[in-house]
Amino acid sequence: MYGESGLKLVQHAKRTLKLPHLPPYQTELVRATTREVRDLDKDVAAILEPFAGSFNPSSEPATACALLTNHLCMRRNKRCLLAYHRNRTDKLEEMCWSGIDVLERQQQTAKNGKEGGNSGADGGSSSLSPEEEEYVRQYSDLLAAYKGQWTDIDLTGNLEPPKDLFIDVRVLKDAGEIQTEYGAITLTKNSQFYVRQGDVERLIQQGYLQRLS
Amino acid sequence: MSYYDVDAILTDAQKVPCTFELTVPGLGYLEGNMSGDMKQGSKVELPLWLGEMLALSQSLNTSSLVTLDHPSALAPRVLNALKADPKTVDLRAQAQHFYNLGARILELFDEEEMIDVLSDTYKTRAAVIADQANNVRGALGEGADFLKKLDENERELFRAAHDSAKSVRTWMADLSKK
Repeated sequence: MYGESGLKLVQHAKRTLKLPHLPPYQTELVRATTREVRDLDKDVAAILEPFAGSFNPSSEPATACALLTNHLCMRRNKRCLLAYHRNRTDKLEEMCWSGIDVLERQQQTAKNGKEGGNSGADGGSSSLSPEEEEYVRQYSDLLAAYKGQWTDIDLTGNLEPPKDLFIDVRVLKDAGEIQTEYGAITLTKNSQFYVRQGDVERLIQQGYLQRLS
Repeated sequence: MSYYDVDAILTDAQKVPCTFELTVPGLGYLEGNMSGDMKQGSKVELPLWLGEMLALSQSLNTSSLVTLDHPSALAPRVLNALKADPKTVDLRAQAQHFYNLGARILELFDEEEMIDVLSDTYKTRAAVIADQANNVRGALGEGADFLKKLDENERELFRAAHDSAKSVRTWMADLSKK
């Protein structure tokens, strides 16, 4: 029965809606679905061949029905594919807006997967398809260009007003030297600082720093 | 209902019984008969997205290619059970998207009674769902059984009711702290 791999994709999409992270891209299912469309297209061409371009649906209702079925299956597969991808790109865009560095995180998990002796089948590979990675890259560029128009307001900043001007942070990853109003600080792993919240907000979002309350 | 709506797509994947009105060459695969033809009068369970369009399309001289029937989830047996007591029926076992399926079927058939039964069912069950969602023990104890019988829409409702009660509680707690 056609349309089943498409349905599986949509079920994956449904599950993704409730997850905080993005599960691995279903390359196999996407390929199976597109292959189905190609097979159906071949079938349609084969059915139409003897008519040589002069097909009249009302004189051949049975053939018309077969053609319609094939056409509907293709349309269904298209809808499933589009919905699956749209679902994922929506999620990626949301991640871009909330300041999660998707690509960075991908590389990290890929590295960890290799060091950990490739635990699990998908442990070492990225959960994005190459096209999705390109999409994220370009979308982030677009977002950065859009935000660049207003230098005095951070569109992706936190909407909650801060309770304290200064906060304690602990450094989780080496982030090098940053410049603040009070001079430069070098962020080395496992050190602790008392800094202005505005200066380090982005670094907290990106996962370099952890806020201590 | 949008084109990209995942729930709409899953609703359309639910099966409805169809009867073919003419013999179609090469469509045997719908019956699990890979190379054969679809015989006139054979009954097949087709997904709604296929059955609906085949039933609606009419070639110029004949009647429709396929006639649709009510899916088993909306059979008179189920509707009678819903009329008797909406609270005890296991809607999820009938169809995962029970109400959406009902709405799609009602677009195709004229059934005044089904509309009443479905909306009464939803109203009665919504009250029970809200009750269970606000009751902290509801989701664990005797309520767990009831939760398993909810269709996808009702689960959304339960989640919304549960989360909103929780957010109001945290908001109140935040207010009293200040």
